[in-house]
Amino acid sequence: MDDISSEDILLEEDESEMMHLTPAQLVDRMQETWINEIRAPEILPYKYEYVECLLEHINSMEENIETLQTASLVKVVHQLEIDRFRYIIASYLRTRLEKIELHVFHILKEEDTRIEKNELPYLSDGELQFAQEYKNSIEQHFQSVLSFWPGMPPDDWKNNPVVPNLDSFVFLKSKENVEGVIIDDSDENDIVDLKEGSQVILSYSKIADLLKNDKVSLL
Amino acid sequence: MNPDDIEFIAENELVQVISNFNSPVIALIKGNVGPFRAGLTTHVPLWLAVNLRQRRQCKIVPPSWMNVDDLEECKTREKNLRIFTKMPSDHYIEVAKLLLDCSSDDIPQADEIRTIIKDIWDIRMAKIRNSVNSLIKNSSSFAALDNLTMFEINSMMPLVPACLSQIMRLKKPPRGLNTQSQFPSSILINTTNTTNSL
Repeated sequence: MDDISSEDILLEEDESEMMHLTPAQLVDRMQETWINEIRAPEILPYKYEYVECLLEHINSMEENIETLQTASLVKVVHQLEIDRFRYIIASYLRTRLEKIELHVFHILKEEDTRIEKNELPYLSDGELQFAQEYKNSIEQHFQSVLSFWPGMPPDDWKNNPVVPNLDSFVFLKSKENVEGVIIDDSDENDIVDLKEGSQVILSYSKIADLLKNDKVSLL
Repeated sequence: MNPDDIEFIAENELVQVISNFNSPVIALIKGNVGPFRAGLTTHVPLWLAVNLRQRRQCKIVPPSWMNVDDLEECKTREKNLRIFTKMPSDHYIEVAKLLLDCSSDDIPQADEIRTIIKDIWDIRMAKIRNSVNSLIKNSSSFAALDNLTMFEINSMMPLVPACLSQIMRLKKPPRGLNTQSQFPSSILINTTNTTNSL
């Protein structure tokens, strides 16, 4: 229950925040989201608003510069900036697709639980469609291959899906003061306070919630 | 993330350039740059500075920290203290590399600067190796890394986290024996094994 309410608040914050986010802040957020996605072992909630908003900026800019002379300096500079943002978005989406391909069964299962619990989905519509189609083709493939192997239980391979290693270590930077992060599960007293701007290496599972609530960012 | 991506991020840093052309303000998405007046300085992101320099349309003013005296001082401090000192820029190594590669003519004593930066990098990398060594020997699951730059952190990227994860895994109760573990069992499944069994 706790999770749902905090996520709901987060969404509202996000929406009101989008209203007065300057393009420069938007770009910074997008870059941060991109780095987080690359560094996190599991798939993170899709930042629909950042991607869409930045793409909108890019499209309107492309329309604006269409009328300029091809060789003019201004056009080249604008084009360069647009290419840089396109790279960030493309790399972000590609990283997510790679994760979906790697952990497709796990991700779809998690996504189903989230829908059941009425939580916000992590995948975008397109990603969900991709994940389902990818899963179907894998299943089809295994079915056709395993039929050549009599005696092999046909669904055996499904019981051990690849899951992301949430205990893997990540480098992170704290965006605000956070108190009482547990370092080691075996010792409840082993906690640490993160000061704003401090950089540490920690196990991802301990800070996953902080990351999703935008309290820390990965490096 | 490979070093190119870190360089890509470092290219957002602002530097001063002296342009040799005139242009009104260019309204980029991330903010305005310019106006450009021939002979006057203006702040632009590094990626733009490098591009303009390559077309020979500007001269780059080296950042204030990029001179032999300051860097020499930085190096002595780094050498004498056991902790990591704060670097003049969060992306000092990438900025120095980009600027020295594309506009070494604009920077006085470019060769000396190159050597000092390399020295500082070597000192810091030696410190990193030492602290990583003790980190792993103590098999602790936490370490503070204040004042390390992104590029330095990236340099220990695949090895150190993988190593610590492996140690963590060895310390954990073996899978299957302890079903009452505080983790859901799905997380305990080790990825390598499952890949093999697929």
